[in-house]
Amino acid sequence: MSGVPYLWLSLLVPLAAAVLSLLPRLGKRALALLNSLSLAVSALLLLAAYALHGIKGVWLDPLRFSMGGLGTFALAIDPMVFLVAFSIAATTAAIALYSEPYMEHRFEELAHEGARAPGWRAYYFLYTLFALAMIGTVMSTNIIEFYVFLELTLIPSFLLIAFYGYGDRVRIAIMYLLWTHVGALLFLIGALAVGFQRGFDFISPQGAFLRGLGEGAPAYAFALMILGLSVKLAALGVHMWLPYAHAEAPTPVSALLSPNLIGLGAAMMFRIVYVLFPSTFTAASPALMAWALATIIYGGLMALSQTDFKRLLAYSSISQMGYLLLGLASVSAYGVAGTFLHYLVHAFGKAVLFGVAGVLIATYHGLRDVTRMGGLAEKMPYTASLALLGFMHITGIPPTAGIWSEYMILRGAVERSLSLGPGWYIGVAAALLVGVGLSTAYAFLTMRRIFYGPLRVEGAREAQARLWGPLLLLAALGVASFVIASPLIDPTVEVVRSVIGG
Amino acid sequence: MEKALALLSWLAPYAGSCLVLLLHRAGWKAKSAAAILSILVSALASTQAALYVASTGRELHVSTTWVGALSANVSVLFDGLSSLMALVVSWLSFLIAVYSYEYMRGEVGETRYWFFFTFFVGSMMLLVLSDNLVTMLVGWEGTGLASYALIGHWFTDEEERWVGDPGRRALGVPMWFEPSHSGLRALVFTRLGDVGMVVGIATLHTVVGTTLLSEISSGAWAGRLLAAGVLPAFLWLLFLGAMAKSAQVPFHEWLVTAMTGPTSVSALIHAATMVKAGVYFLLRFAPILVAAAAAAAGAAGVISDFLSSLALIGALTAFMMATMALVSRELKLILAFSTASQLGYMFLGVAAGTLAGGAVAGLAAGFSHLLSHAVFKAALFLAAGAVIHAVHSRFVDDMGGLARDMRLTALAFLLAGLSLAGIPPFAGYWTKDEIVHVAAEAGLLLPTLLAVVTAGLTACYTARVFSRVFLGEGHGHAHEPGPAMLLPYLALGLASAALGAAWPLLSQGLEGLLHHTLGAEEGGAALAHAAHHVPGAVEATLLLAVTLFLATLYAYGWAGVRPYAAVSRSPLLSRLHSFLYDRWLLNSVYYRVVVGGFRSLSSALSRYVDTGLVDRLYHRAIPLAFQGAVRAVSRYLEATWDRLLHVNLVSAFASLWRAFRGLQTGKAPHYIALLWAGAALLLLIVLLGWLPW
Repeated sequence: MSGVPYLWLSLLVPLAAAVLSLLPRLGKRALALLNSLSLAVSALLLLAAYALHGIKGVWLDPLRFSMGGLGTFALAIDPMVFLVAFSIAATTAAIALYSEPYMEHRFEELAHEGARAPGWRAYYFLYTLFALAMIGTVMSTNIIEFYVFLELTLIPSFLLIAFYGYGDRVRIAIMYLLWTHVGALLFLIGALAVGFQRGFDFISPQGAFLRGLGEGAPAYAFALMILGLSVKLAALGVHMWLPYAHAEAPTPVSALLSPNLIGLGAAMMFRIVYVLFPSTFTAASPALMAWALATIIYGGLMALSQTDFKRLLAYSSISQMGYLLLGLASVSAYGVAGTFLHYLVHAFGKAVLFGVAGVLIATYHGLRDVTRMGGLAEKMPYTASLALLGFMHITGIPPTAGIWSEYMILRGAVERSLSLGPGWYIGVAAALLVGVGLSTAYAFLTMRRIFYGPLRVEGAREAQARLWGPLLLLAALGVASFVIASPLIDPTVEVVRSVIGG
Repeated sequence: MEKALALLSWLAPYAGSCLVLLLHRAGWKAKSAAAILSILVSALASTQAALYVASTGRELHVSTTWVGALSANVSVLFDGLSSLMALVVSWLSFLIAVYSYEYMRGEVGETRYWFFFTFFVGSMMLLVLSDNLVTMLVGWEGTGLASYALIGHWFTDEEERWVGDPGRRALGVPMWFEPSHSGLRALVFTRLGDVGMVVGIATLHTVVGTTLLSEISSGAWAGRLLAAGVLPAFLWLLFLGAMAKSAQVPFHEWLVTAMTGPTSVSALIHAATMVKAGVYFLLRFAPILVAAAAAAAGAAGVISDFLSSLALIGALTAFMMATMALVSRELKLILAFSTASQLGYMFLGVAAGTLAGGAVAGLAAGFSHLLSHAVFKAALFLAAGAVIHAVHSRFVDDMGGLARDMRLTALAFLLAGLSLAGIPPFAGYWTKDEIVHVAAEAGLLLPTLLAVVTAGLTACYTARVFSRVFLGEGHGHAHEPGPAMLLPYLALGLASAALGAAWPLLSQGLEGLLHHTLGAEEGGAALAHAAHHVPGAVEATLLLAVTLFLATLYAYGWAGVRPYAAVSRSPLLSRLHSFLYDRWLLNSVYYRVVVGGFRSLSSALSRYVDTGLVDRLYHRAIPLAFQGAVRAVSRYLEATWDRLLHVNLVSAFASLWRAFRGLQTGKAPHYIALLWAGAALLLLIVLLGWLPW
């Protein structure tokens, strides 16, 4: 059974669907089903690979390519990768279905504006390409391979924003491309400095993390790699591109960009930067922890004063990325495992929330301003329940897996701050009090502004099931991850502990 | 296998939640039956388990691993404390659920109501019965979610659902609250505390390596935390969640406005679930704190200081809330203030009891009052619901003389009220007496004083509310509710009286059972505390309560005193009245300082930092710098180079070309002369040896 190349298949099946999407005969329904199904198959393949192999530790796909001086291009799965890759595949599969009714509305709008955007086939081609590139990114075992996949995520997402986005979409698409590219290049410079001296693999062809490979390389390499991935992560100070890109992208793409793409920055920060520079990373961890806490609080404060629902969610993503960074910065098994779990939780939760924003946009002709909403829960019980579930994910309220990831990240932060002394312990607790308080406040304040109080939207009605159905699927996955938590948490803590050592 | 049935104590209500969801298309009867029966199953399972514990004297522990890394188990742990608590929670919830059947019939959101109701009960039972702190946290957060949903049940915010006086402002802050606003407040307030609690649990997990209560109860962690210098901070963080959930000052504000929920929900929150969770957490940890004090030299001082502070907070809460209850005009609001006040007593009881007589004394003092309060407060709220239904108003000004038409309701309210006021021989008398007693025993002067004064105030406001509602002049016609509503609170009122009558016998049994609480078996010793007994406290309490109760009852009920006019005439009194009526202005201060502060910080950051600095840097300054650089490069470098290549070089060639053209005269002699000159030049070069030949 170990001869089946599950991981390559999980990329090739969506690729085949993307290419098939270009065939002229297919209608939008067939396209949605084809692409969604291919991504669902990808998710199942990942699940199979995880259950059979990855749950025990790093497993490499039997198919791998030796690239001479550039090392080996292989695909790996382990509990960390599974959490990320599976949540990407599952989210994109559901959002592919959601895209159909949503983009129907968007195409109408674009036609109304007089813009001529490429049609359904181009949309789904780019969409699935984007999705599979993200899955490939996290499974890669080699820096160059990682970079190739990363570039592959950028181009389709750039085009999706430029073709179908809102507002000044071309300008925003270029801004997005430029800044994330700057981040990727900063990372690449650092990575090349390490790679040319020590090699480009960060997981050996035998399936072991090459821990400490980069130690002794020039210090700027570490700093550049962290900075580059932080731009992707949109940490405080380098978050300038995110509110624009995520707010103005077509909503299904926002639902992928926001939780999936940016979270990859955190995942790879551990898998590449920590693995190459374990002791430098540990030495830098207090600074990273402070940066993470500042990002949490700053994102929360920004979200509090937004009135555009999508922009509010974009700032909330910045705040959530702070939690991911906090888990990593704790350099403890629980904290890092919590980061990976929170990636999954945030993927489901934020996809649902952006989905809800899209439901409102599609149902009420572009309504995004929360000050003009109110009382919608009465007429839209399903949408309101979904929004509540989405906010429960990101604020860590059971029965969603958010409570597990939040606990684990805090557990990591406590462990690290205890070892740093009483000042850090009290300071971190105080910052978390503010940060989590802000998250709760903006989340449930938004719930109130949109859904409670007297009805303030004319002609309010429940959206069609084709829009909220896929979101329900994602929310259900988040609840299922709460109940079936052991296979997600226990192996991850185990593997992270073996990488960190202790 | 039989033991595994005990899991139903929290599993059954959760199963009920799922069932209610599945039945969302069914009628009110089917949904209600599913919910009520699931809670009944929970109550029966708890009773069976509690009987096992009482008869064998051993704890009943069922546990299978859920998430190994977090030592989170699917479990029940019935020991002395949790058995008693589970009985109180499940049976009261059952009675309130029965009451809801009639009370909530025909209201909007049937599925939502029963879903969150059962979810609430399940979460509370889970948190009471968990054998580890992580699943306890899951239940804890579950109660938070359910309370949020139920407090905001009427989320469309019609005016009759509000709490407070519409139009009234204090320091410019509105003093009326819509259901959706109250729900938000409840969630944000309690979750603030929860962050501290999670940090505390994570600290224990880090130090002990597990979250199992049985491991933590040894208290060995105190030494390491003391050495790390974080023990006091840790204690405050760990109990922050309990303080917020149990509405201790300064976290009490959410509980008051939680009255926007249906009255059945108020009863549930105040009597059985939610606010009792904080007290329960404190009770759970009382023996553990005693063990921790013994485990490390130096820890005892920190822990007894902490408990003294907690006792003071409890006493202060009791006093402040009682003063607010004195002036409130809303029936449910008076009861809400009284709950917060009694919760203060419970905190005082646990802390002072543990200080004065060790773990079991703390457990007994705290839990006894929790029990008696649960019974009488459930009765009071449920009866209040019937009254509000009958007169269609939440203000006591619109009530009066209802005893004539609602005899049984008045009886239940009076029996429960006598218990609340601490009139012997009702249950509340015994349990409050015990708290004042241990506070005096522990030598806590200020808390004891506050507790005694508060007992007097409690008697006052209880007599006031009873006479304003049931005695005096009538306001039109009212009638008793149906049996599904009436029977639960009548039973609770009678139980409150019976509990009091049987208390001297019962308290022995309670204390005996509480001896079997985790961690309480070993250490019974009092924390080292140089106590000076405060004399006369118990006697003063009794005297104050009885005289003030009778005096107030006479004044309002028979003499027909209405102090509103007197208060509005005196500037001092009316200012005092407004101060108390506006809840010591704390709400306004929170809104102006905390909410307003964060709001202005948020908009200032958004304007000046995010748009002003970040946006301007990345999307103005950096592009402009690049643009400038491009312009400079193009002007100075590119233009010069361009001139060099496309002007200077070209014109150089052009002049060369012109020079050659000048030679082309077309006349033969010129050519010959040039030929000769060229040849001569070549010859010269050859002769000089410049060319290698």
